[in-house]
Amino acid sequence: MELLIIPLAFSLVSLVTPKNIRKIVALIGALISVVIAITCWVNFQPDSFVELFSNEQHTFFRMSYRLGYDGLSLAMILLTNIVTFLILLANYEKNTASNKMFNTMVFLMQFALIGSFLSFDLILFYIFWELALIPVFLMAFWFGEKDRKKVLITFFIYTFVGSLAMLFSIFYIGTLTSGSYDYHSLVDIQMNTKTALTVSLGFLIAFAVKMPLFPFHTWQPETYTKSPMAGTMLLSALMLKMALYGVLRWLLPLAPEAYPLFKYTVIILAMIGVVYGAIVAIKQDDLKKVFAYASISHVGLIAAGMMILTIDAFAGAVIQMINHAMVAVGLFLAADIIDRRLGRRDISSLGGIAVRAPKFAFWFAIIGFASISIPFTSGFIGEFLLIKEVFLDKAWIGILVGTNLILGCVYIFRAYQLTMFGKESSFNFNDLTVSEIATFAILSVIIVVLGVYPQLLFDMVKPSLESILSIIKDSSI
Amino acid sequence: MAIYQLLPLLLLFPLIGALINGTIGKRLPEKIIGSIATLMTAIPFILALVIFFQLDEPVKSILFTAIDLGTLHLDVSLYADNLSIWMTLIVTGVGTLIHIYSIGYMSGDKGFYKFFTYLNLFIFSMLILVLGSNYFMLYFGWEGVGVCSYLLIGYYYADENEGLMNSKAGRKSFIMNRVGDLGLFIAFALILANFGSLEYDVVGMKMLGGEALPSVFIVSMITLSLFIGATGKSAQIPLFTWLPDAMAGPTPVSALIHAATMVTAGIFLMVRSNFLLEFTPEIKDVILYVGLITSIVAAFIAMRQNDIKKVLAYSTVSQLGLIFVAIGLGAYTVAIFHVTTHAFFKALLFLGAGSVIHAMGGEQSIRKMGGLKDKIKITHITFLLATLAISGFPLFSGFFSKDEILGIAFEKSVGVYIALAISSAMTALYMFRLYFVVFHGSFRDTKDVEHHVHESPLNMTVPLMILAVLSVIGGIFDLPGIFLKGNFTHYLDKLLGTNVLGLDHHPAHPEFNTTLVLLAVAIIIVLVVLFLSNIIYRKKGVIPKADEQYTGWEKLSNKNMYWDEAYDLLIVKPIEGLSKAFYAVIDTLIIGGIVQGIAKTVSLSGDVVRKWQSGKVNGYIFWMVCGIIGFITFFLIKI
Repeated sequence: MELLIIPLAFSLVSLVTPKNIRKIVALIGALISVVIAITCWVNFQPDSFVELFSNEQHTFFRMSYRLGYDGLSLAMILLTNIVTFLILLANYEKNTASNKMFNTMVFLMQFALIGSFLSFDLILFYIFWELALIPVFLMAFWFGEKDRKKVLITFFIYTFVGSLAMLFSIFYIGTLTSGSYDYHSLVDIQMNTKTALTVSLGFLIAFAVKMPLFPFHTWQPETYTKSPMAGTMLLSALMLKMALYGVLRWLLPLAPEAYPLFKYTVIILAMIGVVYGAIVAIKQDDLKKVFAYASISHVGLIAAGMMILTIDAFAGAVIQMINHAMVAVGLFLAADIIDRRLGRRDISSLGGIAVRAPKFAFWFAIIGFASISIPFTSGFIGEFLLIKEVFLDKAWIGILVGTNLILGCVYIFRAYQLTMFGKESSFNFNDLTVSEIATFAILSVIIVVLGVYPQLLFDMVKPSLESILSIIKDSSI
Repeated sequence: MAIYQLLPLLLLFPLIGALINGTIGKRLPEKIIGSIATLMTAIPFILALVIFFQLDEPVKSILFTAIDLGTLHLDVSLYADNLSIWMTLIVTGVGTLIHIYSIGYMSGDKGFYKFFTYLNLFIFSMLILVLGSNYFMLYFGWEGVGVCSYLLIGYYYADENEGLMNSKAGRKSFIMNRVGDLGLFIAFALILANFGSLEYDVVGMKMLGGEALPSVFIVSMITLSLFIGATGKSAQIPLFTWLPDAMAGPTPVSALIHAATMVTAGIFLMVRSNFLLEFTPEIKDVILYVGLITSIVAAFIAMRQNDIKKVLAYSTVSQLGLIFVAIGLGAYTVAIFHVTTHAFFKALLFLGAGSVIHAMGGEQSIRKMGGLKDKIKITHITFLLATLAISGFPLFSGFFSKDEILGIAFEKSVGVYIALAISSAMTALYMFRLYFVVFHGSFRDTKDVEHHVHESPLNMTVPLMILAVLSVIGGIFDLPGIFLKGNFTHYLDKLLGTNVLGLDHHPAHPEFNTTLVLLAVAIIIVLVVLFLSNIIYRKKGVIPKADEQYTGWEKLSNKNMYWDEAYDLLIVKPIEGLSKAFYAVIDTLIIGGIVQGIAKTVSLSGDVVRKWQSGKVNGYIFWMVCGIIGFITFFLIKI
């Protein structure tokens, strides 16, 4: 239970701590969560389900308040807590780090995310899902870059429509069940194809917007660009994982009867996203936008892989989710480091940073390599499994998604080389500070450990992925 | 220690070297950095020798399981058979010499420690590549060497004028290799799906055992995809244009990575997969003809290049093409033989070129050189020996390995043989041209530079001499059985045949008389070319024209047959155009327009109902929360 309480508590604590120790308190708070999550992981039996809270009395709105975690949830919780800590660490030297509302929002976001990963009740999941929107939105609103309003309206409309659609689906399910939104009773419901399709459509729209899947993506690059660094990181590293997690946890097991109907729609949209995102990223001038489109491309691959019902694909999707989070934090941090020091981040106006800041050049390169999935990084394991499964499902789609391997290099190298190499410029560029190095180092360690020994993660998630698979397969027969 | 215990050590040493130099190297003196790096390459060489003499049966050393998902089981494990150990010997042996050379060549460079860190990392990756026991491990090494190659090509990224160009060359090489890598991904997916494993021995046993094989179509797809991967790394048409650009890196790197070792990775992959290739003769033909065309095209381009390293780069592409011809002919052991001799003489040529460039104070254009034979004697002699070896001068190492390929090609088809003969004639032609223009005639750069020309220090010339000896006598590793009988002949062939999967049968050699004729033809070709080059470039002293003066075929050759321009026009420009068009039309105009339209409607209605709406964005949040509460209340009432 402390998994949930600590973030909530610290979101309140942040409001009252004095300004001079605010950022260190926040960091400690995040660290406590990391420690708790790691303890959970150490004590975790791979094929078990740890129930944290359960109330079978359906007192309020037929909710069962079931909270708990299996391997998949635990992996996401670990990810959330680590990334939250890293975000605070990355942000440590910015002015916002001492702002009380800022810290509160980060913890509130963490609370909502953990809640959504712990929820084994659909209504609960929805509440946390919606709750997560508020802090990230306010953060962008309060701390974002100028002319963000129009962008945020777009963002809001998209996600609002998506959430409404999901809410509709949830209520529709409510009419089918005898009285509970509990996970296990929901997945047992037999539906005919039409019902299943109606139900899954709502979820699909909500998830597609949040990931985002082509063509629901146009809110994403602008919102990423205009949000403050921490907001962008929360959005890309964590919030979209909620959608991907939702696909595995809710969409597929809930209405597997509809799966054959939407499988290729999703895969092809995802495939278009992979190629489209990568191609658009090639010519963007704003570093953050390059990385935003790269994110669309990477997430597309994960989404496509999730539509293949094999353990390899699911495992690939999970490890790629983690890799994507690490890479997103790293890349957006790199963009922000340039922005912090120079006040700009347009590729065309940069160059020669490597000579001034060799440490930065080194760590940025590691993250860059992880994002193009070089072996020894977790990205490789993920992409290999995903591309393999997509290819074996439909060869031509696999080849098209595989172009990600090539196009990814083009935009990452372009972004890296044109900013870091070239003419030694006259500007002053201080090399990394301790907190920045620490952030990059932790990211890199996770990336490399999972790249060399992915079984560490797979041991944790495999049983839960297998049970999800068997739920899907049992009911679709 | 047993072999399976020694194997991980081979990898450990270069890794430790890289870690030491990478972390504290900045504070160490050059001598120590260089010695550590050299030692960490030399020790694996010695260990490999130990293993080499002990090894009978293949040995597998499983380190740990990287992925176990039930059906998918991937081990991190090493595999020693004569092929992998032979490759290890080449990599670490030539690697050690080049490390020693680099201590002299790179001395005074700002990034000295970085250079040796990369070199050791390269050795580490290359050893993973050759020693891995499965395709999965191979890919780790494959990309690892790619990254090192990228880093080293762009090594001079901080250069005032060329910096960005150098790093772009690195990027080009990486991206082109990635095209091939996609092929590998697909091949691996197919192998996994059809064999259930990526282990060489599992796949090999199934193929050679002949039970429950996948269809020929599937295997063809696998071998074709593998070959696409190989064309990237081993610079074959259509993915070869990165290699000449890769010469932007320091010259020892060109010698080690872009001539002797990394670029042979594709060949290693093909030889490893021989059991798959043997099943798909059509794909073998594809390999043969791609190799043949590459060999000729690259040799043609090399004829009118005037940068000393560019000539050698195209020569490498051409030689690799020749080796692919051998693979296409099913002569896998001969391919490895030529890989070996090529590693000797091409490494020597590059190091010699490095010594020349060193002496010239960084100048690479052969137009400015000339008459260097008396000024830098050791470099001159060794370079001459290497030139003779690559041209196939009788009794030099290249003579044996090349003629082995030509002989087998003759058995396959006379057409292929003639094409190969033309290619090797061109090889002799551009090599003698290079040699005479650089070392004979009169010095053509300023007096200042001439005054400065000096022989390289001993740590650079000793590796040259050792490689020169190997280039001359390298033929003994696989002497033809035509005049000699007994154990001396076909040593490498027998060696690889004993314990390497699938390498125990051989393509037919031509009969005795034919072989004699072919030998005679080969010798005549070299001698005629040598005679002609001597007249043109030494006696008449013809020096290369300015680029603008070339016309006809010379221009075509000088301009690299416009491959780069064609790729730019056909691939790069369209994608860039598409990128801009997608962003402007789809993202901004269409989808963005629709959403903006909705947003406008919302804010318009916001005007209308301004009284109860704040108009601020967080007002919407408020209403959303209200809405959720409303929904919940509604349902509560309904219950």
